[in-house]
Amino acid sequence: MANENQIVGDTFKVGYRFQRYWDTSMAAAFFCCELGAGLFLLSQYFDFALGMLVGLLFAGVGKPYFHLAHMGVPSRAWRAMLRPDRSWISRGLIGIMFFVGAGVAYLLEFQFGFLTGIFGEATGGFFYQVALVISFAAGVLVMAYQGFAMAHSSSFALWNTGLMPISSIAYAVTAGLASILVLGWGALAPETSKMLVNFTLVMLLVDLCVVMSLLHGAFHGTTGGRQSVDLLLKGVYATPFIGLVIAVGIALPALVLWLAGSSYAAVLLAAVSILAGFFTYRVLVFKAALYEPIISFKPRTANI
Amino acid sequence: MKRGMVFDLRRCIGCNACVVACKQENSLPDGVFFTKTLSEEYGVYPAANRVYIPTLCNHCEDAPCEKVCPSGATYTRDDGIVMVDDALCIGCGTCAVACPYDQRSQMDADNLKDGMYGGGNLTEFEKDGYGRWTPGTVTKCDFCSQRVDVGLEPACVVTCPTDARIFGDLDDPNSAPNKLIRERGGQPALAEKNTKPKVYYVD
Repeated sequence: MANENQIVGDTFKVGYRFQRYWDTSMAAAFFCCELGAGLFLLSQYFDFALGMLVGLLFAGVGKPYFHLAHMGVPSRAWRAMLRPDRSWISRGLIGIMFFVGAGVAYLLEFQFGFLTGIFGEATGGFFYQVALVISFAAGVLVMAYQGFAMAHSSSFALWNTGLMPISSIAYAVTAGLASILVLGWGALAPETSKMLVNFTLVMLLVDLCVVMSLLHGAFHGTTGGRQSVDLLLKGVYATPFIGLVIAVGIALPALVLWLAGSSYAAVLLAAVSILAGFFTYRVLVFKAALYEPIISFKPRTANI
Repeated sequence: MKRGMVFDLRRCIGCNACVVACKQENSLPDGVFFTKTLSEEYGVYPAANRVYIPTLCNHCEDAPCEKVCPSGATYTRDDGIVMVDDALCIGCGTCAVACPYDQRSQMDADNLKDGMYGGGNLTEFEKDGYGRWTPGTVTKCDFCSQRVDVGLEPACVVTCPTDARIFGDLDDPNSAPNKLIRERGGQPALAEKNTKPKVYYVD
């Protein structure tokens, strides 16, 4: 084909077209959701109330805000929970509701003895355990569901992979680690902070592997996937992808934490870098998604 | 019954009459197309050729847009037409990113309000037609269901001056689309996506 490598935009030509429905607002919603769930679950594990609160705010306020801003008819947003039998968006919304509800109950009991105060020691303690289990299970769902929603789309080779939910979980944990390190510095035991720094280094390596695997899979998946990877590595998005996602988001914090992980300034710098890289990753994965040309065969009429 | 369409690529001349007819029939605002006639160039001069590829919603049997719709707005009728219930759509765009054919369009509130000439100066046609759309919802071709339900063919089909669009029942082995598919080897768009489109191309 003469124009087989062309990105044609909205013109009346056959070629690759950019995905334009999920934009920066949606990327911000994904970012808030994954960061919030990751931060909450880690804070819950380390009994760190401030982290739990901030995590719930990101997932329970930031995510809905940006998602509603993206939505065409926000007044009907509640309808998004109607089809959990088939839609990951429905499952995720229900998961967020359970996550925030159980998370708030857990935090109130943890900080103020709210449940035991109302229901008594035995029943309140039972509800506390129930809130723990529900918030944990829903938190894992909330971390992963957006990746499943993207992986479910067969339109884009860059998204249509089982690595997408893994990348969501990996980035959620990394962003949660970076945030808990910053928020909990001084409040957490020094050996806990040291362990978290080491855990962050491992997760940065995992993130790098997952991102590289995503690109590898897309590049060798379809021609559209190859175009997407080219956009990210050599094309219009190469500077933000290599500069922000890889260098600032992974390499810089890894180096800083490895060399000066015991310094708060270094941890703060690393956390800001990680979050900036994560957000850029979310935006670019949306922007670089390309629809394949509408026909994948050469018409015989082309030879007339 | 399984309604479907065949595009005869030998007949399409790229006049875009179908595109205009669709926009008129469905009162589509600026930038929204339910059907397009794309062009593709092959070879180099002097052995060059241009082929026109009509596109619209493929009304897939295994419709990815329907599977991901969180509100239940997208559904398939008994006759195989994939519909969007405007009253249920929340405009999340999940169907749009799930459709491998990029056949979804969001009804931009500003376009509906401003009209083709801008500034809110809607023509009588726009005033009359835009009312059927809810701003922010995501829509698509429904084979002109309002026409099909009263026994008419879709606007793009009756407008096509070369009969390049053939509409009919794919369950009927003697229907015009089925005969064409059988005789000339009809192929769906992006068959590798396994969505089982009800729109075929013959060439």
